[in-house]
Amino acid sequence: MSDATEKDLIEIRAGRDVSFFDLHSAEQITAADLDIILDVARGFRKHGTYKFAFNKGCSMVNCFFEASTRTMSSFDLSAKQLSMDTSNVGSANSSTKKGESYLDTAETLDAYNLKVIVVRAKEAGVPEVLARHVNASIINAGDGWHEHPTQGLLDVLTMLDHCGGKDLKGKTVTIVGDIMHSRVFGSLVRLLKKLGATVRVAAPETFLPAHVEKFGITMHHKVEEALAGADVVYALRVQEERGANGFIPTLREYSKMYGISKKRLDMAKPNVILMHPGPVRRDIDVHSALVSVDERSHILRQVENGMAVRKALLWLMANRMDGRKKSMVRK
Amino acid sequence: MTTLLIKNGHVIDPANGIDGEMDVLVADGKIAKVASGIKDKADDTIDAKGLVVTPGLIDLQVHVREPGREDKETIETASWAALAGGVTSIVAMPNTRPVADNQTVIEFVIKRARELNLINVYPTGAITKGEAGHELAEINELKNAGAVAVTDDGVDVQDEGLLRRALQYTKTCDILLMSHCEVNNLTDGGVMHEGWVSTQLGLPATPAAAEDLAVCKNLMLAQNTGARLHLLHNSTKGATEAIRAAKKAGAKNITAEVSVQHFALSDEECFGYNTNAKMYPPLRSREHIDAIIAGIKDDTFDAFTTDHAPHIEPEKLEPFIDAAFGSTGLETSFAVMNTYLVEAGHISLAKGISKMTVEPAKIVRINKGTLSVGADADIAIFDVKAKWVVDAKKSLSKGKNCVFDGKTLVGRAVKTIVGGVVKFADGRAVHTAS
Repeated sequence: MSDATEKDLIEIRAGRDVSFFDLHSAEQITAADLDIILDVARGFRKHGTYKFAFNKGCSMVNCFFEASTRTMSSFDLSAKQLSMDTSNVGSANSSTKKGESYLDTAETLDAYNLKVIVVRAKEAGVPEVLARHVNASIINAGDGWHEHPTQGLLDVLTMLDHCGGKDLKGKTVTIVGDIMHSRVFGSLVRLLKKLGATVRVAAPETFLPAHVEKFGITMHHKVEEALAGADVVYALRVQEERGANGFIPTLREYSKMYGISKKRLDMAKPNVILMHPGPVRRDIDVHSALVSVDERSHILRQVENGMAVRKALLWLMANRMDGRKKSMVRK
Repeated sequence: MTTLLIKNGHVIDPANGIDGEMDVLVADGKIAKVASGIKDKADDTIDAKGLVVTPGLIDLQVHVREPGREDKETIETASWAALAGGVTSIVAMPNTRPVADNQTVIEFVIKRARELNLINVYPTGAITKGEAGHELAEINELKNAGAVAVTDDGVDVQDEGLLRRALQYTKTCDILLMSHCEVNNLTDGGVMHEGWVSTQLGLPATPAAAEDLAVCKNLMLAQNTGARLHLLHNSTKGATEAIRAAKKAGAKNITAEVSVQHFALSDEECFGYNTNAKMYPPLRSREHIDAIIAGIKDDTFDAFTTDHAPHIEPEKLEPFIDAAFGSTGLETSFAVMNTYLVEAGHISLAKGISKMTVEPAKIVRINKGTLSVGADADIAIFDVKAKWVVDAKKSLSKGKNCVFDGKTLVGRAVKTIVGGVVKFADGRAVHTAS
């Protein structure tokens, strides 16, 4: 079994490598990269929790300067299922609490000769800057309001599986909620545009960052208008912890204006899927009845795809076929 | 009598309408003669053939950090950086530690500069105690101690009632008030210009309206009180239009400056989370830069400055959101002006020089910025064709946080002379016993 399973993945990978050594933005992901990542992710998904020997001898640290449930556990389990050794550093137990800078923390961890450092920070740009200072490959697990590329990847994997085909041309994705404070949106919109999707956003003006239309999307104040005929409805969470307070009068009013109810979801295409990056605020972002019971909800499938996508990235980034190494130019 | 003759240079002295090949004779630290073919014998002669000879530059906005943050900069290191850029007079901002809201700090800065005997340092005092924006500082005492202006640069006076009283009071004391224009309720934690770039970077951003509104409020209160007002580091289209309108309407008590980085660079410098590009006002988008350049051409703006703001390295290695605001600029200001305005074909070199010499001198009412006979012999000699790549690591300033690091500029100070003494020559400090 073991040989056959690993052989399957090796065949799927077919000697391919991704074009990047660090992943801080979905901007870096080319069409070819996306093909490799999604092919390999589907391969891993097929084999469930099977423990591959691919990354044996490689170490990874989850460096989470901001709280996380699903992203951190998903990276950790993915690494372990690839036979990696892992360690987790969080803001509560790290030296940054003692005033150590992110840079010093990362350089210290890098001295362990790690293959991968997964970084989450409440400040935009931290992973991109750290990548310029360490030998390990940096994977952005969410930076401020900027991006969350692995979330974007698992989202498009979920959408492509639903819609079929290699891209999303002719498909409409409606994203509802706090666009401004959402790093999920930051990565998702970049990937959706690469895949040719029509993207609509529905939000109060206070949740829209300046010139967001330049991503090539349309903006709607009325959620119903944005939902009509959509193939995918993506609800975002109101990010109180990232400053959404004061941008809307109350959660109650927000829910009435933008919350995804059964009635609203019915305005989309009959085979629409509902997605959400989690954690869901039930009855605010999405009405309770839709979260896990409704067959249109793909929220848990997203979580499953997250494991597959992260496993694919860890294999592709920590174990290159072409033998090339990250060339680090200390700035 | 000691004499110095600068021969064959292209002399640009906007105050006297001089723009041509001439010689400059200096005697005992003063300008003795500016004419073609001076035959007088001199103790020293500088051949300035192919070079441009101008009055030493004056920078209205420099953070010297001393007293209090000598780790970032001292009056001495700021002076050497100034000399390297052809700058012979600087106006020092009051946001030191302690804040220059009392005559002791003003006296200290003047004393320290006099001991160093490198360049002319003109201190400013704070408008409010501690720059806290609550109570007026003893502005008349500050003036008597030697402050050339008062300003709460870096924070601004948010309370309009207090700002109006400050203008009435500075008018009473006949001292200039310099405003850093920012409405805090609108900047609201923003760390860069609000626009397409900030959206792509996911950074909290400051709308141009935060500056526009503050400029309008300052202009109205200056018109209302008749006080002398100088608007620091303008960067927006709205500010340009408001200042232009006020000047057109005949306001004689209002002057305005642009910091050179704001016509040279856009908010795109922030890509890659480049913290050297983080400053207030923020680097703006193209439409604002175009408006600023139009305002330079039609003299809406009187002077160019640097807002030289040195910081220690760790403060700029923080995440962009937390990093310190500001860039150094004393060593690059002439080159930036020359590259982005003169070489780019927007203005003549003479106009650029005038906004860095005689015009700023008029604003703070100092007897500098000209090559008039009898004036202090503060002179800069530039090679306006010299191409060079900025290497901030080699900066004479303690701060290596220069937003122009790595950029190719055209024009460089070859010699800088203060009071008839060569202080900086051919890329090196000239140490003289003082």
